[in-house]
Amino acid sequence: MLQIEGLSVSYGSQKILKDVSFCLDRGESLAIIGESGAGKTTLGKCILGLADGDVFGEVRFNGDDILDMSQDELREIRGRDIAMVFQNAEDALHPLYTVSDQVIEAIRVHGPDGDEVSRRAYGLLEAVGLDRDKADSYPHQLSGGQKQRALIAMALANDPEVLILDEPTASLDAMTKADIIQLLRSAASGKISIVVTHDISLAAKLTSMTAVLYAGRILETGRTSDIISGPRHPYTRGLLRSYPNMTTTKDLQGIPGRMEQGVEGCPFHERCTQKVDRCASDVPALVESGGRMIACHRGGVVPLLKVRGLCKSFEGHRVLDCIDLTLFEGETVAVVGESGSGKTTLSRAIMGLEVPDCGEIEIDCSPVNARDKKFYEKVQMVFQNPRDSISHRMNILQAVREPLDVHKKGSEDDKLRSVRRALDDVELSYDEKFLARYPHTLSGGEVQRVAIARALVLGPKILIADEPTSALDASVQAKVLRLLLDIQEKRGLSMLFITHDIALARKISDQMVVMQSGRIVEIGPTSDILTRPQHPYTKRLIECSPDLSALDEDEDRGDHGSAKESLMAEKIKH
Amino acid sequence: MHTDPWGHLTGDAAGLAGLVMIFLVAAAAVIGPAISPYSPNGFSSDIFSPPSSDHILGTDFMGQDILTRLLFGARTSLMIGLGAAIVSSTLSLAIGGTAALFGGLYDRIVMRFVDAMISMPTIIIAILVASYIRPSLPLLIALISFLSWPEGSRVIRAQVLSLKETGHVRAARTFGAGWLHILKSHIVPDLGPILVAIIIQDARRAIFMEAGLSFLGVTDPSMTSWGKMMHQALGFSYLDVWKWWLLPTGFALSITIMSLSFIGSALETALDPRLRRSKNKIVRWIQCSRSKA
Repeated sequence: MLQIEGLSVSYGSQKILKDVSFCLDRGESLAIIGESGAGKTTLGKCILGLADGDVFGEVRFNGDDILDMSQDELREIRGRDIAMVFQNAEDALHPLYTVSDQVIEAIRVHGPDGDEVSRRAYGLLEAVGLDRDKADSYPHQLSGGQKQRALIAMALANDPEVLILDEPTASLDAMTKADIIQLLRSAASGKISIVVTHDISLAAKLTSMTAVLYAGRILETGRTSDIISGPRHPYTRGLLRSYPNMTTTKDLQGIPGRMEQGVEGCPFHERCTQKVDRCASDVPALVESGGRMIACHRGGVVPLLKVRGLCKSFEGHRVLDCIDLTLFEGETVAVVGESGSGKTTLSRAIMGLEVPDCGEIEIDCSPVNARDKKFYEKVQMVFQNPRDSISHRMNILQAVREPLDVHKKGSEDDKLRSVRRALDDVELSYDEKFLARYPHTLSGGEVQRVAIARALVLGPKILIADEPTSALDASVQAKVLRLLLDIQEKRGLSMLFITHDIALARKISDQMVVMQSGRIVEIGPTSDILTRPQHPYTKRLIECSPDLSALDEDEDRGDHGSAKESLMAEKIKH
Repeated sequence: MHTDPWGHLTGDAAGLAGLVMIFLVAAAAVIGPAISPYSPNGFSSDIFSPPSSDHILGTDFMGQDILTRLLFGARTSLMIGLGAAIVSSTLSLAIGGTAALFGGLYDRIVMRFVDAMISMPTIIIAILVASYIRPSLPLLIALISFLSWPEGSRVIRAQVLSLKETGHVRAARTFGAGWLHILKSHIVPDLGPILVAIIIQDARRAIFMEAGLSFLGVTDPSMTSWGKMMHQALGFSYLDVWKWWLLPTGFALSITIMSLSFIGSALETALDPRLRRSKNKIVRWIQCSRSKA
């Protein structure tokens, strides 16, 4: 059993690890993920008693504190009870000895001698995929993958209880990586394994638990599958969003800023988009929350907008039927469905442009009783037709300044500064000449960006966008969407994105809501809905969405024919 | 989307002619009385004198200088026109605008009242009331305004209703803007052109109505008015005086009303392309039915 309690490491004045605690039993595996510089490798080294800095806390292995052990005692443990596969396979092998000699040495230092040792060494090397020929080669005669295999064989030499893998696949190509992952999985079974990596897919494949390390602190920890499918800490979410993979469909997004050491309060607060005053002064404790541990003053990513049981009828006709949805901070919920499915009414009902018949709306966990200025400061809207939504009698300055005028925010100079900043955010010019122009002298994409700037000038946290790009060309649409995603990354803007274009929703949304005649027929993570649609309506929407596969004379005609036929059949039934 | 009313007005032949004429009448009304040596009510024994260097348009049956009375009459007409236009269009804006904005019961009550007003024959009521109270200038303005605001209020209500649903008003509501802000920054500016058209229409009708009432002799007798002059001139139509008494007066009244009509119709067509199209449609329809007949 490996138990780490309040582990802190500092090199001089720089603290690398702060108060790290966890506990692993035999058969359990833990991934430690985070950006470079987070302290992942230092943590691995501490467990081997190899850390060079000032170390405080406890690292108990089967009850004995490794940090209190003498060098001799540590030598006993290293390699025999706790072994490590080092990050850089090139440096970890001695260039003047053959691989088999090095494995034999690893066994010999812990006592055993004789023929049995070399038999065991060759056996191990064969188990990791190196035959006798390769085993007797020098490291420079082997490929990167083979060297990695040799290192794994060395680590397994004494059948250790704890296996620490430090970026075991970092420099390998995809095919070799898959092999090595297979190998590591069988090697680690029945042991305590700790995988130190920035590769989330590796963590997913090798471990059952994951801890997210940031600037020396654990921010989130829990079951690997939970953390990857539903990250709750804003940093974990940022990590996952910036990790290219075949599961999620949304465009890659980074995390603003960069990691700094020695930040007061929550280590992540300077990059966090949902910080409050407290985050800058107090360090959040790692507390249990819904089956995992999170260190966040706000309890993880906040549900900014909650809609509960929203209904609306027009002259007896149900347009919205008990709509429930939740929009988290910094995320996009795409509402898709054909025209007439109630998408626009939903957006207007949330904005207060239509009065709903029943239902509740919560912003930032407090119920909305009136659509007052306080509400509109947090929630803003971008409309479908930009030319219509900006008065043709206002120039750019007047148009973007209007929300500030309504809210009487600051002096004239402050307003002008805010307007310029908002225009800069949407990548428009903000000089005198541009500010004096009228919307009809701009292109469609530019006017929509002015409309977005106007919606952002109050600094809202929620943006409701009703088909904001359907009036634009594809290339302009791409630019506007990219812009919205960038703003989302920078400010943690939450978006309720209403569109009929499921292919578009796929690229920009985290969650998807499929609506049909005023009802939500399916709701869930976008990638799930697109790969495993449950409702027939969703399936049909996906079938009818644009793809770029050219018409293949024989096959595709058949396919399209059947899709069309089923549509026709459906229509006849109704 | 972006309109330039002034440009359209000066570009249109009729509009330009209207502008020039109203400018001439206004100039005469302002400058004329100041340089005229006679008083409009000062009489002499020199009656029915034909045009001469002393009396350019001769004198009437009281020996009053006709030109001086014509110039003072222009003043009356323009003041009635201006006053009634301002009062009436303000009433139209206030009542039509609030009906559209507030809606509901208020809207229904107000609009039914407007319907009732419109269905009544304005000119008869005007004659009845005027003959009873013999209105002076301010009273006449009030009377005419009271009778002419309902039509404008319907137009304004319709316009505000459609403006209320435009994208930019909806957008302004999502900034949390109150109705006052929306009225000030979104509705009134967009109402401008139609308001100008209503003002001109009101002015034209007021001038016409005043002339008519004065002609019938039901207004304040001390008021110098073109209508009254025509009434008096008609009494002596068997004499030669009608040439310099009745004709110039009728001509002045026609020019004033025509100029406003020209400006009004030029503005209306220039500002509302849909109107232009529908007008053409009606013209085409009339032509069609004529050719069939």
